[in-house]
This record gives sequence, structure tokens and C-alpha cells, in this order.
Amino acid sequence: MSKLTSLPDALKAIPDGAMLALGGNTLNRAPMTAVYELARQQKRGLRLVKTAGAMDVDLLCLAGCVHSVDAGFVSYESHFGLCPHYRKGVEQGRVQSNEHACYTVISALRASAYGLPFMPVAGLRESDLRKAHPYFATVRDPFGGEELTVVRALRPDWAIVHVQQADELGNARIDGPLYEDVLMTQAARRVLVTAEEIVPEGFFRRSEQKPQIPHFLVHSVVHQPRGASPSSCLNHYPVDEEEVASFLALPDAEALTAWLNDRGRTAR
Amino acid sequence: MIRPSDMMAVVLARLIRDGETVFHGVSSHLPMVAMLLAKRLHAPHAVHLNIGGGVDPTMARQDGISSAGSNLWTDAQAAFSLADVFDLSMRGGLDVAFLSGVQFDSRGGVNASLIGDWQQPKVRLPGGAGSAVLIPTARRAILWRTKHDKRTLVRDLDFLTARGHVSDLVTPLCHFTMYQGEMLLNSIHPGADIETIANHTGFPIRYINLQRTPPPTQAEMAALQHIDPGDLRNIEFRSL
Repeated sequence: MSKLTSLPDALKAIPDGAMLALGGNTLNRAPMTAVYELARQQKRGLRLVKTAGAMDVDLLCLAGCVHSVDAGFVSYESHFGLCPHYRKGVEQGRVQSNEHACYTVISALRASAYGLPFMPVAGLRESDLRKAHPYFATVRDPFGGEELTVVRALRPDWAIVHVQQADELGNARIDGPLYEDVLMTQAARRVLVTAEEIVPEGFFRRSEQKPQIPHFLVHSVVHQPRGASPSSCLNHYPVDEEEVASFLALPDAEALTAWLNDRGRTAR
Repeated sequence: MIRPSDMMAVVLARLIRDGETVFHGVSSHLPMVAMLLAKRLHAPHAVHLNIGGGVDPTMARQDGISSAGSNLWTDAQAAFSLADVFDLSMRGGLDVAFLSGVQFDSRGGVNASLIGDWQQPKVRLPGGAGSAVLIPTARRAILWRTKHDKRTLVRDLDFLTARGHVSDLVTPLCHFTMYQGEMLLNSIHPGADIETIANHTGFPIRYINLQRTPPPTQAEMAALQHIDPGDLRNIEFRSL
């Protein structure tokens, strides 16, 4: 059964308030076209999950879509600096910053993937993060008696990942760094894949480069060439620095709407 | 005139010993270049781990601005994901983690989270990334920061993101090392002096055996030009 659909239709299934895990890392293979469409559809109250976010988180904050961000790091890399809209959102109390160590995002996603309510984490000892955030707690090791930090499970409603190749059934193949994408598809309730290329059914049967994401975990597939741009996508395109700079020059949400409309026309 | 980015890359590289497992994260161009430099000069068997998951990249192609991108993958010799690196550190197998932050105290504490009150921050910073789990579990955490002033090196942190096994802190002016729980001035880079450092540091400067940082050698400079023709080591200085 084909799961191929359009991006606007796929994202209409995501309700306001949903918890979304976004694939990629900073300006690398982030599902940017899907992020643009979430902003166009004016989603509200989204709870974002990612180890290290950049323009994806920043753009959704400017668009007013975000309730909270669970992440270890939110910033462009050194070149572009801090995420101004995320920062302003948190400082003005509109966006809740749930700071993690990147590893505790992974542990919280693993908890869901393993069917557990929380996960012990080695290493998080002397840190104000523990007292500042209710998703960290201390328990006693029932066997050894030592104190352990645990992190509450993160169970995203949707994982959105961008891949190089997928077929209509949802088998999806990532070239290069996987980041936390595969784990996200195992921790989330539903999975949306956007793909540079849709390959014919049976293509992966003839390939030894098997998809890391199997069809039965995937709910919708969207053919979206340049779907990670302006972040990079290995074997397709590098970071589009001009485009990132053009976004960072936008003064407000109104300007973002016009900017997104421009990009919509180019894409269609 | 020695550029601070060259001096810092060289000092960071000299801290890496042959055979060590070494990790750096995102926004970490100086450690990334330092690692390539160390492997080319004195530590050919050090193991280079990173967020993209490529083990021992040579980065012969430098077509990206990221220190977490696929240019650390394409010519790597094996795959070892970020989750794998964290797991390695948790079980005691990571020798060195390179980390940064915005405030540092004299006891090896790091703040990368926020300025002001944590419930209503004046400035929301990017976050500590892996710091809170890596600094306590890696054998050594090496810190670097491209600013050296009283807002960066402080008496009291606004927020403690992490504390643990910090061994060194490298700035554009000098190199501190931890000794019995205290950050001591270890060496002063060429062009800096102790008065300038004291005037730009929020905690008292103490030292036992104070040295001058040896300037980059010709071999180090030649290797730097070779491995980093795009001057990625200077990115953090360009954006200041």
C-alpha cells in the first residue's frame, strides 16, 4: 500500500500541541521543508525534541508554533551564532526551554523505544539541570544501593525525518551520519519521512544498502527534493549559507510569512 | 604576530596523547582542527570521534562549515554514532572530551545554559550539549573559550551546567590546568602577560610553576596550513 502523499496533507494529521522529534543535527539533514510547512499551517503549542537544533527550532519559534523545546543544544554553529528567535521566546516566557544533556534526550527516547517510563543516566551528577527540571529525578539502585539520576521518557507523537531514498511503502535509507533519526522512529508513535528520491518498489531488495527505517514504522512518505535545504544533505547539497542568512535577516513573523510564501512558489 | 586561533589550536593539540579516544561536538572547530593536527604530528593513533559518527576522518574535503557534518564521515574508517560515543564515556572508555561554555569558575565549573535566574533567564544560551554527562565521565575534559574576560572567567557561575573531570582550560591569553580542584595558571601565551590576565579574570590568579607557552613551531604551522586550508580554526574569532 502506497503511503505517498503531499507534504501539506501529511502535516494536516499533526494536531496542535503535538510532540515532534525532528531528525538531523543543527544545519545537517534537518527536515526543513516540513518545518516550513508546519509554520505555514500555523501549528500551535508544538513540543519539539532534538539533541541539537538550529534553524528548524528557530524558525518554528519565530512562527509562534512552539510551546517547548527538549534539547541539549540550540544554536547555529559558530559561524551564525545563537538562535535569536528561540532565545527571545525563552527570555520572554513564550517558549519553555527544557535543557538536556544531548545524551539525556537519547536516553529519554530510548526509554520510549524500550517501553519504559524512564531511563537511568550515568554522568549527570553535579549539575543544576537536575534541580531546575522536573524530568530529572534521583532513585536508589535497588541492587547496589547507590543514587542514580533518571530521565523521564520522551514519547513523540511524530518523528519527522528527511532521508536520501525511500520507497512508497516507507522503507527509508539514510546516507552518512544517522544522528538520532532511527531511534526517533522507534520512540515515536508515528513517523513521517520526506525523501530526496522515491525509488521503485523492490529497489531495496536488489540493494545491499538496506534501509535503516523499515516500512512498517512509517505512516507517510513525501517526495521532497531539497527537503533538508538550507541544511545539508550528503550526496545532494551542502548548507545554503545565503538562505540561512536571508532567514536570519527577517525582522518578524509577518516577514516570515511572506518569505515562506516565496519559498512555496519556488518549490511548486 | 601569532594569531590566537593558531596558538589555541596548537595548545589544544599538544594536550592530546597518542592512542587516546577523543570526542568533540558541534560548534567545535578549534578542537576539530586540533585533533587533526595532533594525529598528523605526535598522536597518529589517537581516535577521533564526533557527532556525525565517522571514526578518524581526515577531512581532506572541506566543503562544510559544520563540526558535526558529513565531511567528518565521508573518508572515516568506521562508523560510531553519537549515542555510541556517549555510551562509551558512561562505561569509562572515553579519554578526552572537548567542551566549551560561556562562564567558567576556578573549580572547573561550566555554565553553558543561561545568564540570570534559571526560572526567568536574562539570556538563554545554547545549552551545554553533552557537558553534563561527559565532563563527569570522560577521563579528562578539556575546555576552550575564544573570549577571556571577567564575564567569562567568573568567581560565581549563574548556573552550574556541569562539573567533574575538567583538566585544562585554554583561552586566547593562557592555559589553565586543574590542580587539586583548583584552576591554576599554567602557561602564558606569547604576547600576553600576567597583569593582563589577572585584570581580565574574575577569580584570583594562582600558580605553582608558571611557564611561557612555547609558540607554534614551524612544523606545527605547516601542518595547520595543510590540514585546515579553509581556516576553520578561526571561525569563532571571525564571528566575535
